[in-house]
Amino acid sequence: MIGTELEPYDVIVCGAGHAGCEAALAAARMGMRTMLITGNIDTIAKMSCNPSIGGQAKGHIVREIDALGGEMAINTDTTAIQFRMLNESKGPAVQAPRAQCDKKAYQFRMKHVLELQPNMHLFQAIVSKLHYSAGKVKGVGTTIGADIYAKTVIVTTGTFLRGLMHIGRNKTEGGRSGDFSALTLSGSLKEAGIELERLKTGTPARVIGSSVNFSVMEEQPGDERPLLFAFYDTRGLPDDLFHVEQSPSLDLAERLLFHVEQGRGMRKAGWLPGSEQLSCWMTYTGDETRRVIMENLQSSALYGGEISGVGPRYCPSIEDKMVRFANHERHRLFLEPEGRNTDEWYINGLSTSMPFDVQQKILHSVPGLENAVMMRPAYAVEYDFAQPTQIHAWLETRAVEGLFFAGQINGTSGYEEAAGQGLVAGVNAALKVRGEPPFILGRHESYIGVLIDDLVTKGTFEPYRMFTSRAEHRLLLNHNSAELRLGEHAIRFGLMDEGRAKLVKEKIAKVRNWTERFEQIPAPGGRLGDYIRRGGDASPASADFHALSASTRDEIIYRVRYKGYLDRELKQVEKLSHIEKIAIPQGFDYGKVRGLRNESRQKLEKHRPETLAQASRISGVSPADISLLMVSFVSRNA
Amino acid sequence: MYSDGDTIVAAATPAGESALAIVRLSGPLCTGISEEFAGDRPVLPRKAFYGAYKAADGVLLDRCVFIPYPAASSYTGEDMLEISCHGNPLIVRQIVDDLLRRGCRPAEPGEFTRRAFLNGKMDLTQAEAVQDIISARCEAALEAARRQLDGSVGTAVNALLDKLLHVVAYTEAYIDFPEDDLPPESSEGPIAELVALQKAAKLLIATAPYSAMLRDGAKTVIAGLPNAGKSSLLNALVGEDRAIVSAEPGTTRDYIEERLLVGRHLLRVVDTAGLRIGAGEVENKGIEKSLNQIEHADIVILVLDSTTPLPYREVPEQVQKLSNRAGLIVVENKCDLPDSVKLSDIMPDAKHVRISALNGDGVEELRGVIAQTIESSCRVPGQDDVLVSARHAEALRSMSDNIALALEKMRSHEPAELAASDLRAALSALEQIVGRVDHERVLDLVFSSFCIGK
Ligand SMILES: Nc1nc2c(ncn2[C@@H]2O[C@H](COP(=O)(O)OP(=O)(O)OP(=O)(O)O)[C@@H](O)[C@H]2O)c(=O)[nH]1
Ligand SMILES: [Mg+2]
Repeated sequence: MIGTELEPYDVIVCGAGHAGCEAALAAARMGMRTMLITGNIDTIAKMSCNPSIGGQAKGHIVREIDALGGEMAINTDTTAIQFRMLNESKGPAVQAPRAQCDKKAYQFRMKHVLELQPNMHLFQAIVSKLHYSAGKVKGVGTTIGADIYAKTVIVTTGTFLRGLMHIGRNKTEGGRSGDFSALTLSGSLKEAGIELERLKTGTPARVIGSSVNFSVMEEQPGDERPLLFAFYDTRGLPDDLFHVEQSPSLDLAERLLFHVEQGRGMRKAGWLPGSEQLSCWMTYTGDETRRVIMENLQSSALYGGEISGVGPRYCPSIEDKMVRFANHERHRLFLEPEGRNTDEWYINGLSTSMPFDVQQKILHSVPGLENAVMMRPAYAVEYDFAQPTQIHAWLETRAVEGLFFAGQINGTSGYEEAAGQGLVAGVNAALKVRGEPPFILGRHESYIGVLIDDLVTKGTFEPYRMFTSRAEHRLLLNHNSAELRLGEHAIRFGLMDEGRAKLVKEKIAKVRNWTERFEQIPAPGGRLGDYIRRGGDASPASADFHALSASTRDEIIYRVRYKGYLDRELKQVEKLSHIEKIAIPQGFDYGKVRGLRNESRQKLEKHRPETLAQASRISGVSPADISLLMVSFVSRNA
Repeated sequence: MYSDGDTIVAAATPAGESALAIVRLSGPLCTGISEEFAGDRPVLPRKAFYGAYKAADGVLLDRCVFIPYPAASSYTGEDMLEISCHGNPLIVRQIVDDLLRRGCRPAEPGEFTRRAFLNGKMDLTQAEAVQDIISARCEAALEAARRQLDGSVGTAVNALLDKLLHVVAYTEAYIDFPEDDLPPESSEGPIAELVALQKAAKLLIATAPYSAMLRDGAKTVIAGLPNAGKSSLLNALVGEDRAIVSAEPGTTRDYIEERLLVGRHLLRVVDTAGLRIGAGEVENKGIEKSLNQIEHADIVILVLDSTTPLPYREVPEQVQKLSNRAGLIVVENKCDLPDSVKLSDIMPDAKHVRISALNGDGVEELRGVIAQTIESSCRVPGQDDVLVSARHAEALRSMSDNIALALEKMRSHEPAELAASDLRAALSALEQIVGRVDHERVLDLVFSSFCIGK
């Protein structure tokens, strides 16, 4: 029987959230015998917070996940109820797709994908401890008394490690409203030498739509011609799994009950991702909201001193916003539908750690929500995470060989950040089992690479969220080029079927060839390249060009138009590439480096960078310090 | 600790007579030597003691003050000893010679600093500054180097960095938070700030030539027609026969360079080939070089032969061009000769000095005029001004260039991601001076200036 000491699984993934699902799928797709353990099979891929995927930088990550053969993009496309492209005016590199999803449909589909995946076992149990010996992982113990053995273990437990929920001063154990808390696993990890700290995050209230006065709010419809997350020009439209359909009307009387279309009928039924979109609605807090909040500040868990974990700066509670930006008359709120087949609405912008009665008052102070009926209150959750400087750039812990961490346990926030790490952890667990060198994504090739490098190099003091400004080579990371940047990795690891692999390779070649050809093709006033850089379009190109897929054409034009910029960034990447390759030996003695300032030495000793390039990214470490390190390595090797 | 095991010794004060001189030692022998001079008294770290300096052969050389520094608190990070003796060059030499006999070796130029740097006692900028102090050949250079050691360059550059980070944060906020309720974006504020940054950088950059001038000396080119007495003037200024002088016009074919101190300034004086039309081929080459020298000069001394007013009325074009050049001094040479006349109508805007390179008349006055000219035309910075090195200037220039690119994009309303890319390049130019800037600083500014988040 598999899972015993004698015949261990290749990979165990603990937790079936967004990180766990991608980790398990990647491992299983690489042929690993994989077990995905979750405390509750009914909450697989649950969107615990807002019902949306993508947005600035996060949308980029989702497209990268698709390029790496992951599931999040296609799962979003097939279950989304609204698509919007953000930032169109700021330029192609920083525009990002965002979607509202049907939360339940998202979960159902992901569960079904996992069920259909060969090499995958899904199992419901709560992991209580880690088994390891001689610094190597062996498996996990569960609260049902069963021990399950594996060569590698990926922990993707989200907010469940000693999760503690707060509503005002009321505290409940649990990683998410209605769920349990993993109480003992933390102790087991600490015993294994992993240090844990606390973080805090929160989620706003949900209300029933029939009690909301949408007529005083501003409608925010989806894009008419949505851009989807997955690259269908190489992977083809999905024709397998189900999707969920419903009339988009808000009028209850007109609304049909939903039905689920299942099996191989999607395209036949004429339904495409992006059909029948629903709107979000926008409103603002009022004067009354401020009054209620300021009057009750002391009862907030945050201001009352009940919460010790650090919350994210980019996701302040409404009381935080009122206090810190006292001069703002009003704060914007979005009402987002949680699905097609439910009338539950998420109130984006109204996170709070106020007690329930104050939450009610806050809610009713908002124009349009005067009579809103709350379905779930807002709450904050505090949980254990492991400072990610304790893991390698391939997400394996430094303390225990074969043990990998992905998602919120590494101090990140967001479904997308979690999923990206999950995929990388899954690939690396598989490579570990195969005895192959680890997969490290570069900062110059992906946001996922930036994310992981930031985490393992600098650690984090708040739930880490991706922003495009965190990427120094942002122009190289436009969402449309994800497949061109990462496709070859996916092909190498077998994360893409052969049909798609062939198309991706062709696409890469086409983009390269056409980008060069544009500099030759005649156009008004010279060559097509210059014509485009002067603001012209691609109309002088031949019909062959116009027959290419939209994603391919867009990328060619992007590369031609931004040539000077992309060249500049590529040159910087080139300059750095040699120090990316210089590894700093484990346990390296910085005290022996002649001339290193004491201040820099202390920083390097604290962060323990694995490459010279990582060292160069530590704040305050100067180019001169890096030269000294380089000299010391060179003289050592000479 | 870094050490090659040698104990190095050198006079820490400049050669020449003075009230006091300091001899400095660094290395393992310091402790033993301190103990010997201390005799029965205990040697306490950083505590001065007074005593007789007796050479190894017992001869009393001087009465000195000795200050021992243990490695932990010394300049170099090694054991050190400072000996203050009387400022007689002979005594200093005898003491150093004696220490050499005791097993020390002479320090190479800058070796104390190199040891300090290698032992983690200072960063590169400071080390550069110390190097400048050591090699400072004139008072003005010394002052500038001391200021740099104080960290004034770092302070000035960090002020620029703060300003730049604010603009970056502003731009990035509108890129990264498109769904947030930010105030309407305006490019006016950032544009004004960037323009101000460019100005500030320009002022700093402008000091770089002066710091180069401090290090290498103000370049002073002696130019003029053949046979005017240029080489004679060089010799008069230097005080020895450095250049060949002859009655034959066109004697100097290639240029000759000499360093000399004028007041608190170091000069790098270059004698050039005479400028004239219709010279031979070899001489023409020399003339070309002369013109090139003039172009890069801080100061030009145009030597005229005051006995031959003609053909100065028809001076070659190249010489005429000099007339509106900053830093020009006109020397009317050979004033000792009876047929010498005043030439004040030639290039009347320039300062004129009448001299005789032959007997030295007016040469002192000329020195004064040179010093004045350096201070007025070379924009000598005030006491509190920050001087940047060529390396810093290069980084600042690169920052400025990238800001210019960003401004162009902002003014023509191109996509914000492009201006942002230029601003990032500007930021990394500054990182060349201040080291890596953590991106968290940008985010901190974003979150503290804007109400962001849902
Ligand atoms: N009486 C007198 N003769 C001078 C004086 N200065 C230079 N001479 C003479 O003028 C002649 C030319 O002097 P140089 O110093 O060689 O002139 P130069 O400008 O260097 O000439 P080239 O190198 O040939 O261009 C020599 O015979 C000098 O002795 C002066 O102040 N008084
Ligand atoms: Mg001469």
